[in-house]
Parts: sequence; structure tokens; C-alpha cells
Amino acid sequence: MKLALLVLCVASPLAAQSLRTRLEGRVPAASIPVIDSLVQVAARESLPTDPLVQKAVEGGAKHVSSERIVKAVELNLDQLRRAQELLRRAGDTPPATPAEVITVVSARKRGLADSVIARIVAALPGEPRGTALHAVADLVAHHFSGDSAADLILEAVHQGLRGVRLLDVSSAAIQETQRGHTHAEALARIRSELPNVPAPPPPPRTTVQRARRPVASGGQQPLH
Amino acid sequence: MSTIDPRIHQVLDGEIQREALPPELRRQVELLEAAAALLAAAPKAESVEQRVMAALRRPAAPRRSRLVWWLVTPRAIVLRMRPVWTLALAAGLALLTLLPARVSRPDVGEEEGIAQFVARFPGARSVAVVGSFNDWRAGSIALEDRDHDGVWRGVVVLPTGAHEYMFVVDGERWVADPLAGRYVADDFGRENSLLIVRPVLQ
Amino acid sequence: MDVASAPSDAEVVARVLGGDREAFGLVIRRYEPGLLRYAARMLGSRDAAADAVAEGLVRAYRHLASCRDPARLRTWLYRIVANRCKSHLARRATADVSLDEAPPVADPRDTEAAVERAEQLVLVERALRTLSPEKQEAFVLKHVEGMSYEEMAAATGERIPTLKMRVHRAREALLQALEEYR
Repeated sequence: MKLALLVLCVASPLAAQSLRTRLEGRVPAASIPVIDSLVQVAARESLPTDPLVQKAVEGGAKHVSSERIVKAVELNLDQLRRAQELLRRAGDTPPATPAEVITVVSARKRGLADSVIARIVAALPGEPRGTALHAVADLVAHHFSGDSAADLILEAVHQGLRGVRLLDVSSAAIQETQRGHTHAEALARIRSELPNVPAPPPPPRTTVQRARRPVASGGQQPLH
Repeated sequence: MSTIDPRIHQVLDGEIQREALPPELRRQVELLEAAAALLAAAPKAESVEQRVMAALRRPAAPRRSRLVWWLVTPRAIVLRMRPVWTLALAAGLALLTLLPARVSRPDVGEEEGIAQFVARFPGARSVAVVGSFNDWRAGSIALEDRDHDGVWRGVVVLPTGAHEYMFVVDGERWVADPLAGRYVADDFGRENSLLIVRPVLQ
Repeated sequence: MDVASAPSDAEVVARVLGGDREAFGLVIRRYEPGLLRYAARMLGSRDAAADAVAEGLVRAYRHLASCRDPARLRTWLYRIVANRCKSHLARRATADVSLDEAPPVADPRDTEAAVERAEQLVLVERALRTLSPEKQEAFVLKHVEGMSYEEMAAATGERIPTLKMRVHRAREALLQALEEYR
């Protein structure tokens, strides 16, 4: 097989762009001042600002109206505040890092109850919680209860698994249900296999591209 | 079911006085306490204080993936890269595609992984992936349908972490990835696909 | 330094968070003996224990601001080190944990009592290793580190009834093993 190496890069020195420069031409002009002010509010409250900018340019890319873009940015600001408050109530002393706040926003967007998120946060003091939360959310998306999903992932944490290995645990439990086992059976089987759940196969070898996006404060949801 | 008298647990948990126990049970309590005392009195380990304080005093090196470094350093578009970088990148990508996943890949950093996109859009003229990883700009990641069978594919190096995205078909139709397995509301009345990119170097 | 003048954990944490990095040395000196002892039991190796405790203490310093209640610094530190120990264990090729140091060879000049103590320690350690990691941990935290069940719950994230059950099972298994060796 002939292997073609295809590299597509859209490189632009975006690190130094101001907010307005980033929004101009991407969102309706009328919405820029409002979005700018919302971003400044977030900054004053020590909340990550890039998720708000991202939401705005996403709306612009999807050709959504100015009003709906502003509404979405306001909604996300509220979500960031709630996430910050959840972290404080779960025991983290403020200020929470942008990564931690974004992680909790993502977990809530994926349907996890605050009580479940708080359990994961409290069980991993001083450690990243992103993959643990996504692993629980994967299970919940496949109709496991939040608490039983958290129990399994916390058991895996207890047995020393971290990072993407926690996603392997949830994948394994989901696969068990896809094989016809009940949720309870799936949880019991995977719990008995911990910590030796299989990892997924590596990706196939083929052409590769690169993506480019601007670097900004706390923008990307970290994997940890 | 307990194999020892529950009063032993009650004494050791401070719930009753040991004087309440008959001599044989008191002996067993003392055996356990002696075992604990031996473990507590084991030879003292070497202090880690110097090692820890040295680590705390060391200035922290900024954590940057090569991708981030690449982004913040102004440079030409890849086709006009300096020859040494072009060669290095090509060599790195050759390694990426030819070597097993666990071998060190010069061009994929510790905080990067490989994302595969596959979607069926028979009759489509173009399929792009647009998401948080490319600032929601269409055109930077184009899938290919080499066999013209309607199945569009692409493999992209992305920073590790969670990314939201959609496919854009023929430059206008936004479609969530049916194979994503994870979705989140986009706050515009639709759902974005969610991708979690794993590090290649684990 | 006498007990009356030693600063409380809350005071030391406040000093460190106020910028007095060297004050963290007080935390290390205060808690490393117990943490090293605990980690050595969990990992079966003093070298691995030193690594886990050192990593845990560095992590604790960097995240000190997230210690919810400085008055419970001790259990917070144990939780961080417990997590490090579990990471170390998960990375090991084999699940069997065995002490990597041979018991000290008795010196003819040792007293008979010292020799007997060394032999008993070997017996106790061997008996402890017959327990599952969770039960070993529970027994060590309760009876070697002297924690209450509430402190153990804070250190491990487990519920008190679960910890009580593990401690009880550990006592039963240890007692049985010790009786067999007599």
C-alpha cells in the first residue's frame, strides 16, 4: 500500500490576537461589544474566558443570529460560575484553575449530577479529574446510574488507575452491556477485573493532518 | 461472618473495656496490639525532606507541548517551511505512520494524540471537520473519500483532551458525527460531537 | 521544640500559603515518619515508599490551597500519599508485593530480646502480606498510624462501615496467621 504523507496545516500566529480581532468577521458585529463585556465579567470573576470566545465563534460559524450567540455566551458564563461554586463546595479552595472549571462545566453538560461530580472531585484532591468525570459521564450516557458509575470509577482510582485508563474501564463496562449483560452484571464483572481492563487498539496507519487553533487562557478541555 | 469473638473488635474499636474480656480473648487482643506495635517500631526510613525541599525550590519549567510552541512562534504556512523542518516533519510523520503506537514518534508530542474521523456521506462533494481544535473554522481539516464510495476519512494529530466538533458537508450542512459516541448540547439547539484524544505516548 | 510552642497545622499551612516555602519543612518533619511507614507497608519497599511519599509531599505543597480544612492536614496528606501508592502499585508488572529488603541478620551481640523481636516482625509482616491491599491499608491506618474511623474515611474516601469491615477482616486474618505461626 502506498502511504501518502499529507500534511495540512493552517498556521497563523494567533497567540497575540486581541479578543475583538478574534471575533471580527466571525460573529455579527453588533454582538461584539456585548460578548466583550461578558468576557470581561468572567475575567473579573477569575473564570476562564476562552470558553466564552469559543462559544461565540462557534455560533458565528454556524450562522446563528446575534441574539442567540449572546444568549449562549451568557448561558456559558453562568455555567462557569456554577462550576466554580461546585468546586468550592466540594472542598477545593478558590481560585479554581481554568482547567478544573472547564472540566466541571463539561461534566455537567454531559448530564452528571452535582452530587456525583462532587464525589469525584473530593476523591482526587490535588489531582486532575477530567478523565474520571468523562469516564463516569460515558457510563451515565449508557444508562448506568450516576452513583454506580461513580462507584466503579472511584474503585478503579482506588486501585491506582488514572487518566485514559479510566476511560478504558467505562468502555469495558459499556461493552459488557452491549454483550447482553445487565448494568449490575457489567459493573460486577469489570470490578472483578480491575485493574486489568484491556486498553483499546491503536489507531490505523494512514495519512495524517494537523489542526490549528489559537492558544488562549484555559481554552481547551484538558485531558487528565 | 466473623471468625473471632466480636468483643475483640469492640475492645480494639474502643467500644468496651478490655477488663470485660475473659483471659483468652484478652490474650488475642494483646497479640494483635503487639503485632501493630512491631509494625510501628520498624526501622526508621531515610528522610525525604531534603529531596522534597529541593524539588520545591527548583524553578518550574513552563509546560508547553511542541504544538503550543509551534503555534505561538510566527512561521510560514507549512508548504513554505524551512527545509530542515520540512524534512524533520516528514520524517516524523513517516515514523508516525510506520511504527507501532508505543514507539516514540518524533513529531507527536507528549500532549498530543491521534484522532480518526470516519463518516458516510454518499454524494457529498466535500466533508470538513470543524470544532474547538481549529477555532470552528471550516477548511482546515478536510476528510477524503479516496475510493469514491461515500466513506470519508481523515486522521489528525490533536492536543490531548476533550474537543467538541461537527462535520460540515458541502460547506453548508452541519452534522454531528454519528460514530462519536459522546455528545453535548451546543447551546444553539443542536448537539456537538465530543472527542477525547488520548496521548500517543503513554 | 516543646509541644506548647509548636505551631498548629493550620498555622503552618497559613505560613506556607503566605509565601513561606521553607515552613513546609515543618509539615514534612511532622508527618513523614508516619507517611513513610504507611507507604512502606503498602508498597513493600522502602525505596518505593520514599518515592511515593516524596511525590505526594511535592504534590501536597503545590495543591496546598485546596486543602479544605488545614486542621485535618494529616488525613489530607495520607490521602494524597495513598493515591501515589496506588499509582505505583498499578504500574508494577506483577501484582505480588513483597518486601525487597531481607530481615536484618541478627548480630551475635544483639540481645535475645532483640533477636526475638526481629523474628516476630518477620512473622507479622508475612501475615500482613496475606491480606488484600485494602485490608492491609485499613489495618495499618487504624492500628499503626492510630487513626480514628473518621480520619480513615477522610484519608481514603471510603465509608466508615466499609473501613470497619476491612479492619475487622484484617484482624481476623492476622490473628489466624499469627496463631498458626506460634
